[in-house]
Amino acid sequence: MEKCILEMSGICKSFFGVQILKDVELQVMPGEVHVLLGENGAGKSTLIKVLSGAYRKEEGCIVLDGEELCCDCPKEIIGKGISVIYQEFNLNPYVSIYENILMGKEIANKGIINTAKSIEFAKKYLDLIGLDVDPCTLVSELSVAQKQMVEIAKAISCDVKLLVLDEPTAAITDKETEKLFEIIRNLKKKGIGIIYISHRMSELFEIGDRCTVLRDGEYVTTVDLDKTDVDELTKLMVGRNVSFERVENNYIDDSTKVLEVKNVDYKDILKDVSIELKKGEILGLSGLVGAGRTELAKCIVGAYKKTNGEVYLNGEKLKGKDVKESIDKGIVYLSEDRKDEGLILIHTLTDNIALPNLEKFGNPVLDINKMVEVSKDYISKLKIKTSSHLAEMKNLSGGNQQKVVIAKWLHSDASVYIFDEPTRGIDVGARDEIYNIMLDLVKNGASILMISSDLVEIQKMCNRIVVLKDGRVTANLQNTDDLTQEKILHYALTGGEQGE
Amino acid sequence: MLLQEANKVNSIKEKLKKFDVKSLTLYIGAVLILIIFTVICSINGKDFLTTSNIQNIISQSAVIAVIGIGASLVIITGGIDLSVGSVVGFVGIFAGVLVKAGVPLFATLLICLAVGALVGAINGALVSYGKVPAFIVTLGTMQIVRGLTKVLTDGRPIAGFPESLAKITQTEILGIPVVILYVFALYALVMFTLKKTKFGRRIYAIGGNPNAAKLSGIKVQKIETLTYVIAGIFSVIGGIILLSRLSYADPNAGSSYELDAIAATVIGGIAMSGGKGKIGNTLVGALILGMLKCGLQILNVAVYYQTIITGLVIIVAVYLDKAKERKAE
Repeated sequence: MEKCILEMSGICKSFFGVQILKDVELQVMPGEVHVLLGENGAGKSTLIKVLSGAYRKEEGCIVLDGEELCCDCPKEIIGKGISVIYQEFNLNPYVSIYENILMGKEIANKGIINTAKSIEFAKKYLDLIGLDVDPCTLVSELSVAQKQMVEIAKAISCDVKLLVLDEPTAAITDKETEKLFEIIRNLKKKGIGIIYISHRMSELFEIGDRCTVLRDGEYVTTVDLDKTDVDELTKLMVGRNVSFERVENNYIDDSTKVLEVKNVDYKDILKDVSIELKKGEILGLSGLVGAGRTELAKCIVGAYKKTNGEVYLNGEKLKGKDVKESIDKGIVYLSEDRKDEGLILIHTLTDNIALPNLEKFGNPVLDINKMVEVSKDYISKLKIKTSSHLAEMKNLSGGNQQKVVIAKWLHSDASVYIFDEPTRGIDVGARDEIYNIMLDLVKNGASILMISSDLVEIQKMCNRIVVLKDGRVTANLQNTDDLTQEKILHYALTGGEQGE
Repeated sequence: MLLQEANKVNSIKEKLKKFDVKSLTLYIGAVLILIIFTVICSINGKDFLTTSNIQNIISQSAVIAVIGIGASLVIITGGIDLSVGSVVGFVGIFAGVLVKAGVPLFATLLICLAVGALVGAINGALVSYGKVPAFIVTLGTMQIVRGLTKVLTDGRPIAGFPESLAKITQTEILGIPVVILYVFALYALVMFTLKKTKFGRRIYAIGGNPNAAKLSGIKVQKIETLTYVIAGIFSVIGGIILLSRLSYADPNAGSSYELDAIAATVIGGIAMSGGKGKIGNTLVGALILGMLKCGLQILNVAVYYQTIITGLVIIVAVYLDKAKERKAE
């Protein structure tokens, strides 16, 4: 048997006590396109970040070309011949192509750059991948596909042995995809190993040789792509023997529509999206990363200005000009990004809870004692683990930070709550507590729109599930006992059409 | 029993948490500087710690302290305002021109306040709606306002203001120069506003995390603009205090005051990155700068050395302020 170019085994990694990768393995042969497949949050990007040295692995071993990599520093790993091309490119847009290709390894004589030689060097690699552009062109003037090719040229010029492509076709046209595949096939001939991450089933079969499936941070299996099909892969991705109990929600009032979203467009991300939310309902919003779920939520609360369409809350049309209006009318959004959008990390727990509710604490003079009282009340009600109500948010764990985000919006007394990935990065115990808070909310007459990549959670909590793909609603499913995760995933991956 | 003990420990812990180590370092520093000057002065046979000296220090720090309020507010939102000093210079000359043209003093001062607010509004609108970096916007308005000041009188100073102008600051209440009372009153007002009003909370939120602030329903751009307007108004108040003290308008007045105001802010421990700090400590920062100036003058230290020492104090102050963060790393 041929020797593999990359062998990862027993890789473990956890964040804040939550295990993200458990004993994961991956083997890539020279000249092979190896597809890495898994749902959102299955651990694909974490695995790649461990490989590239961006994250430090806790256990396991990585062998590249017969040599064990024990260093954790990204620069050294690039030196060993691993190159990762992310969706957001690592190019400096303000300098030329050749300067980007030679960044960090400039061709110079006594510190003076030899421009002619540099351009010649860059041209060689651009020709190799068939990018016919003057090497002196500024990167900012290139299209997405061209930038991607520059990244690949840069990688090959470093004598790369293993190339990782993360969703390389997400933002390029079909024609450009063909060209990319041609380049990939050329790289295969040179014996370069390629790890290919993508959700587009059709292209996996076109370009991939083998496929490793991850699920919930665990290795599932590796299959030959010419011996399998979409259905089998979907099953492998979901796979688990589902052992959850669907929550009974008897609080739903079918006759009252609380939220109506009609024909919403947003740039080219959302296309003609319409959804309805009933009183007491928990509606799941499912879909892959990039399907437009968060954008939809932000359009509903007015954080993004929708290009088209209307949002009605209790029959009243929202202007959608700013978030303040939505909060006042009773619809709130709990961001998936606690650190960047949910909280002010350098401020105290009390200040964070008070922030969207300042009107409730006295006008014009704020009653600080009342703020403290309220925050202490939430600390005990939501069992927030914190040293005091004056602790800075940055010192709390993820689960407790999330509870503070919830507390801040609970106090605003809304009628519709949009939870965006409410349990991401949170341990199991805290998850159940958050589910209970959500149930309390619907019990008290509120309604919930829950965005989640976790299908178990979606099936456990929701009355109904809307699936988005590429900014369109592809399914509106009742969460009944015969609804399978495969079915949801199928709509998210293919939009429901057979044969893609 | 055990529970009671635990509660006791917790309440003590809570009190300790409330206790602000950073401010304490600043106060100790200020007292230390005071002691050092007192000792050195007495060795050299001079008096430092006298009532008149203390009053002098506060009066002379008044302008920096007042424009420091505006500078600090802007810095708390995560911005910076370099134009505050230029407005101080402009106010003097502009008021002079108006008074010479026969406008009553009271109306003159109101017009000046409006102009300051306008400069602030332009700064704020360009920063928050125009998305131009605050440093660049206010660097530009600073130059423009300075230029306008010189254009107004061809660079000549103006003298001969009415007596009533001097009276604004040069009276005493219960033996205390009224300007000192102004400073304390303004700080009391601003400290209250920051701690106890929605506006105050919101400017901290914007500086702490503008995304989270926006998603919490705060109209970030509006509040940000308003903060620059307030900074403009405080600059005018500073300018009026200076004009009243000198009864003489110099087109070069207020040069580099913006840097002193920013220095007072950072010595006071307000984070340049925004969202954190106590405005009251800016007053302490301004007083430390005033103390240095006054003390070194009494000791006959040449102006050039004064600048060097001031520079060192700024760096040392912030270095000490960052001790906790260094430890965290």
